[in-house]
Amino acid sequence: MNLIAAEVLKLRRRRGLMAWSALLTVGAVLIAEIIIVTLHAVNPDHHGPAGGKTNLENYVFLLAGLGNVAAILIGSTAGTQDVSNGVFRDLVVTGRKRRTLFYVRVPGALLVFLPMLAVGLAVAIGGAYAFAGTNESPSTSYVLHSIAYVLAITVIDVVLAIGLAAFVSSRIVVGVLIAWNAIVSHLLIAIGALGGARKLIDVAAAEHFAPASSGNSRVAVTGATAVLVLIVWAAVALTAGRWWTQRRDA
Amino acid sequence: METVIETRALTKRFGSRAAVDGVNLVVPAGVAFGFLGPNGAGKTTMIRTLLGLTKASSGQVSLLGLPQPAKRREALARVGAIVEEPRFHPHLTGRENLKIVAAARDHAAAGRIDESLARVGLAQRAGDRVKTYSLGMRQRLGIARCLLADPQLLILDEPMNGLDPAGILEMRHLIRAFVDEGRTVFLSSHLLDEVEKTCDQVAIVDLGRVILQGNVADIASSGDPTLLLEVDDLAKARTVLAAETRITKIEDEARELRLTLADGLSPAEVNRVLVEAGIAVSRLEPARATLEEKFLAVTSRLEGNE
Repeated sequence: MNLIAAEVLKLRRRRGLMAWSALLTVGAVLIAEIIIVTLHAVNPDHHGPAGGKTNLENYVFLLAGLGNVAAILIGSTAGTQDVSNGVFRDLVVTGRKRRTLFYVRVPGALLVFLPMLAVGLAVAIGGAYAFAGTNESPSTSYVLHSIAYVLAITVIDVVLAIGLAAFVSSRIVVGVLIAWNAIVSHLLIAIGALGGARKLIDVAAAEHFAPASSGNSRVAVTGATAVLVLIVWAAVALTAGRWWTQRRDA
Repeated sequence: METVIETRALTKRFGSRAAVDGVNLVVPAGVAFGFLGPNGAGKTTMIRTLLGLTKASSGQVSLLGLPQPAKRREALARVGAIVEEPRFHPHLTGRENLKIVAAARDHAAAGRIDESLARVGLAQRAGDRVKTYSLGMRQRLGIARCLLADPQLLILDEPMNGLDPAGILEMRHLIRAFVDEGRTVFLSSHLLDEVEKTCDQVAIVDLGRVILQGNVADIASSGDPTLLLEVDDLAKARTVLAAETRITKIEDEARELRLTLADGLSPAEVNRVLVEAGIAVSRLEPARATLEEKFLAVTSRLEGNE
């Protein structure tokens, strides 16, 4: 527990990282809601209410897209900061196993990221109900799907970033994962010729949890397969990261 | 004799180059032990290998009597180390940086944070971010980090680097205080003067090999005795002494001669020879070899062999 608290401390004290992450999670949704609420207040005939199922869908995809970037930033920082600051060797010299020093980054990063994501989700869901007006309010099932989708698409990137960060600098991790999430994975998913192989793409698996109305789940994946694919991606990333952390000179 | 570090044929290779080459080292408990060598001699690689930061290519290591890496955690629990320059998370305060390392150690370590900061004189600045610290303050914070382990053995890699004279003096006092408390300090340095002033024992290392090992005083005084000689006629004295077979070397040093004596030739006998030759002797002083001279002698001998 002490090691996890130490990981949280290292991340929380990074003002820039915290500010950007808060902006990308809570801030983005909040700003979007404020804009839509204002537009509706100023011109209700032209702009509908800021809440309801449809707007929740928009908030969720905003949170998934930008929260994803926050997840990558936090994960890559958690994965690289000990080595890049030259402190990893001092931790190794305590006698702690390198494996432990590596794995503890995961709960540490999640404990920093998930509260922000939770607040972002709370703002999105709360706004969807509070400002529903004449719009259809989201069902409980829809809300749960939204939460599951945002969690799946972001948490996997926290883990992937930590694993990849064992090999390369945080900038490369951020670049590679953002490119993968924003461009490469979607290109691969769009290639029909790849058939069932597309189920193995983490983004496709995460999209399985997206709210039903989104129509964004372009590859038919069962819930069990989606969970399995995400677990395998996480396991491969963490195993590779742990292997290199144990093998490299500290 | 209780030993805190013992290596047998310890070797670390990078490709075909041996940075540590079959080192047999014995560091007894309760001393300040200097690991002395020029830059690139393999000191840091040796320390990294001792601490398991890099894997040894071959050989055996024992720390605090515990075989490494088999009993790594048990041994390192009572070892504090600064490897290369002390590094920290710059965005955290001094105290927070210690918290990070204390979290990786046993529960008692967190309770030693304030005490360690006070010991190195950083209590007042403990709440400041490390990025605002001077190099000297970072060195002291590094020592404070070592103290979290309540270490039996401190391994300090070039701890005087970058310190001003006052900082060096302070560090020297700190190291001696640790030894007085019964701890062992293993200190790597290329600063001969500092090792001589701070350490009880020394190993001189070059090209990955330990060339000499023993008490600082014994090493400095080993070899043939030398005499410094001031006379009224240097040229005549040189001629007279050249005939004495038990004087192996005569060197000119400004207005004096440095003689290297052999086969038990005493200063009194030298004096008698000179006086009998009509040379007035104004000074005849046994010269104490410094560790620096010994260091230069052994390292240049090594180069000469190559």
